[in-house]
Amino acid sequence: MRRLLYQDEARLEYGRRFWRDPVRKARLLAHWQDGRHPYRDRFLEKWQPLVDRVLSAAPGDDDQLDATLQLEGLSLRVVAREIPPVFGSFWNEPSAPTSPPTATSAPPAATTRSASSAPPAIR
Amino acid sequence: MPRRELSRPQQVTEWLQKWGAILKAPAMMTLIGSAALLWHAAQKGITAGLPENSMDADPVTDSDELAWLCYDAIIGSEFEQTHGWHINLMPESVLKELPDGWRERASSGSYGHLSVTVPHPADLLAPKLRRNEPRDRQHAAWAREQNLI
Repeated sequence: MRRLLYQDEARLEYGRRFWRDPVRKARLLAHWQDGRHPYRDRFLEKWQPLVDRVLSAAPGDDDQLDATLQLEGLSLRVVAREIPPVFGSFWNEPSAPTSPPTATSAPPAATTRSASSAPPAIR
Repeated sequence: MPRRELSRPQQVTEWLQKWGAILKAPAMMTLIGSAALLWHAAQKGITAGLPENSMDADPVTDSDELAWLCYDAIIGSEFEQTHGWHINLMPESVLKELPDGWRERASSGSYGHLSVTVPHPADLLAPKLRRNEPRDRQHAAWAREQNLI
């Protein structure tokens, strides 16, 4: 399996931890579906079931999961990139009203990540 | 808002003390990056700040509670507004960037429920010097000036 970028791997690793806790899982889902979240539409339109699948999987099964996803034209690397980030600016605020996903999704996360969610780096 | 960021050793220990008091259960953190260099400086009573400020602290943890606390302190958070820097939770695999045997050379600290492991400054600088950006070289020079290495 191709190595994940650290920021993608962090969302996968800690997302799996939180996925085991119903309260934290619900909180993440609410945040990702918040009307202010820039990846909300693409998450709801396509990626939610796939993100749920990789976050529900055991880390020890990643090679098998990746192989299965590749048979579907995907990969763990691709899906991990679609785990939405947390935006601190509204993470601790009540969810904003939402509207149905628009027909036009945001471009891939890799190209739309704003400076406020810049990828982690060892500093 | 005045530019604060992370530059003084005391900022790191104050943060760890505060979170150690918040945690309800024992949690372990491995701290890397510039914040870890500042931690070592704090242990030696050094007050000199980093020549190039850092925007964040880079912890790794296997604690759900601590990881969740880190999410609350992510970029753009109230934590960042308060402190001027944020927490950048890193995956465990980032520790593979450190030289072999780093755990044997690491230091540790305890803050309430929080146990912190901090790789030796020379190990912390190894990935920085591989990257070798100007700020990395400045941090290495600072560590030498402070006799951390």
